[in-house]
Amino acid sequence: MNKRVHARYFSRFLNLLPHRLSCHDSTRATIGFFSVSGIDVLDSLDLLSEESKKNIIDWIYSLQVIPKEGGLKCGGFQGATTLNLLDPPENYSTDQYKWGHLAMTYTCIAVLVILGDDLSRVDRKAIIEGVASVQRDDGSFSASVEGNEFDMRFVYCASCICFMLNDWGNVDKKLMSQYILKSIRYDGGVSQHLENESHGGTTFCAIAALQLSDQMHLLNSKQMEKLKRWLLFRQDGGFQGRPNKPIDTCYSFWIGAALKIIDAFELSNFKENREYILSCQDTIVGGFSKWSGTSSDPFHTYFGLCGLSFLREPGLLEVQPCLNISMRAFERLKNLHKIWQLHSQMEVQLNIE
Amino acid sequence: MSDSSDEDFNESYVMYRHRREWSDVHPIKQNDGPNPIVAIAYSERFLDVYDYFRAILATQEKSERALELTTDALRLNAANYTVWQYRREILHALKKNLYDELQYIAEVIEDNPKNYQVWHHRRVIVEWLNDASKELDLTEKILDLDAKNYHAWQHRQWAIETFNLFDNELAFIDKLIAADVRNNSAWNQRFFVLKHLGLTPETVQREIHYAMNRIRLIKNNESSWNFLKGLLEYGDFSISQFPDVETFTEELYNSGNRSPYLLAFLVDMYTEKTLHIYETNSYDDPEVYARKVVELCEMLANHYDTIRYKYWKYVIQKFNADKELAKVGPNEQNEEKDEEEHLVTREPEKVNGEAQ
Ligand SMILES: [Zn+2]
Repeated sequence: MNKRVHARYFSRFLNLLPHRLSCHDSTRATIGFFSVSGIDVLDSLDLLSEESKKNIIDWIYSLQVIPKEGGLKCGGFQGATTLNLLDPPENYSTDQYKWGHLAMTYTCIAVLVILGDDLSRVDRKAIIEGVASVQRDDGSFSASVEGNEFDMRFVYCASCICFMLNDWGNVDKKLMSQYILKSIRYDGGVSQHLENESHGGTTFCAIAALQLSDQMHLLNSKQMEKLKRWLLFRQDGGFQGRPNKPIDTCYSFWIGAALKIIDAFELSNFKENREYILSCQDTIVGGFSKWSGTSSDPFHTYFGLCGLSFLREPGLLEVQPCLNISMRAFERLKNLHKIWQLHSQMEVQLNIE
Repeated sequence: MSDSSDEDFNESYVMYRHRREWSDVHPIKQNDGPNPIVAIAYSERFLDVYDYFRAILATQEKSERALELTTDALRLNAANYTVWQYRREILHALKKNLYDELQYIAEVIEDNPKNYQVWHHRRVIVEWLNDASKELDLTEKILDLDAKNYHAWQHRQWAIETFNLFDNELAFIDKLIAADVRNNSAWNQRFFVLKHLGLTPETVQREIHYAMNRIRLIKNNESSWNFLKGLLEYGDFSISQFPDVETFTEELYNSGNRSPYLLAFLVDMYTEKTLHIYETNSYDDPEVYARKVVELCEMLANHYDTIRYKYWKYVIQKFNADKELAKVGPNEQNEEKDEEEHLVTREPEKVNGEAQ
């Protein structure tokens, strides 16, 4: 595997996309995440100059929504700058439509951590309030305060955010776990929402959310064994997302990570998994595709690399399966948690004195 | 990643900045900061439309022309949820005929069947109308193109459950399963429908035969096997309560079939039998079944499901461990399992029991 060619592939996406990709205009932050985290997993952050790292960090912060006092609890990050106005006439404002989006908030915070930012400009309190405010009565989460759907994907994003900011605030973890348990299907997998079909991506979301919220013990041994089998049965060379669907590179991450989390990845077939992922590699342009012989994209490139990292491919950083960032970034995050804890202890002491 | 194109605008299209009827609006550029990342080389048209969209959003203009503008903005990027949200606000403010909107969004869905925002918009409009009479037709049309489209199934399930449209769903599923017995989405939908109609012992019996008949057609099909297994486990039925299934699977095996799904099913069936005999201390010889479990796992590992070699070896290990636990008997076993809890809650004299 030529690491440099893939790292350069990602850095092209960090720069400029052709206009035919305009349909991704609202989710530029996630492409930023795949590229930055991908370069990190490739252990190639040196490819980014200090200046370009700073530029990325500043751009990410420009997506942050700081809610108005007493207003909508819309804290978090947007996916793009579409609503940021350049020299608007007086009284022109789009602020009431700027809402944090859970998937964007999760990926933006991850990018900041990966690039070594100390998160000091992150409005942690507002974000956690925002996460709690989009939790629904059934335990699931909407993506944002208005205008978006709700399902297991946002249960996962909410868990990542709370874990990363080390604060669950008023999030009802128990209610969340009930939603997850209700979404376990008869075949042992987990659906995107209650009685929908079991799916590799949402099974990952559910299992990672349980782990991040420290609730894995809620799965009984029967559920655990069925889950294990469902996940392992997805392998047919590479992995598929659902029974009787074609295999696809990204499931080497989704299924692989879920197996890692429940400590059963070693039961999968490494050789065939690796062969499939590498067959989807574009060695000239860089990147990985979902199927051999099709064109690569940042999404499948990132998940292909994470899949290879689980297989201990030389040259790749180890990936933390729940948060989907490198172990190095994860350690950095744990350090931030320590610092925050120290600060709050000091504050308590100062108040006592 | 899918591509968007603005090729589907017709030739007479005029930029908003050149339209006389828009001359009163001050377009507003996007502030992407001094050093944007993942920048997009927007087309002229994209910039034009979104500059005007920002303007009407900032001034809260809710008018016919604003509604048309959102149509253009969504044609350029159907994933922009703010545009969808604002479009709904305009529809509401202008008291538009929502059946027209239903027609419009159906067309957008046909062009973008795997986009979350378009399905969400559909759902909100259906909720506003409180009328889901067109949802089964729409989702059927989309499933005609891709019978496993997750969005379509999710929407269909929501409509059926919310508006109680269960009546003809089993017939619809039959049709799909007949067309492709490997359609896992259809099998899942079947389970969903049955659960809501009530899984009585009669229904379970009928459905077991439904599944077995489909397995007879194609034996190597995970979907039908999972459905069968799911039915048996639902409500804690044990496999041995269904002698038909036992006969069916053993006959398949004896006729020489070695589908990994059949073998896996037999592993589970004989595991259940072994543990049950040990736990209840009944007179049957549990080792007859225990040997079968190990033998089947070895066959899977070495011949019929070699990709999962390590897994089937693990199943043997796990089975042997569970067997040892079952031998101890259910009472002592519980004590061992709940040891920690019991230390706290049990009465003092029992704390000194054997399990300690
Ligand atoms: Zn994929």
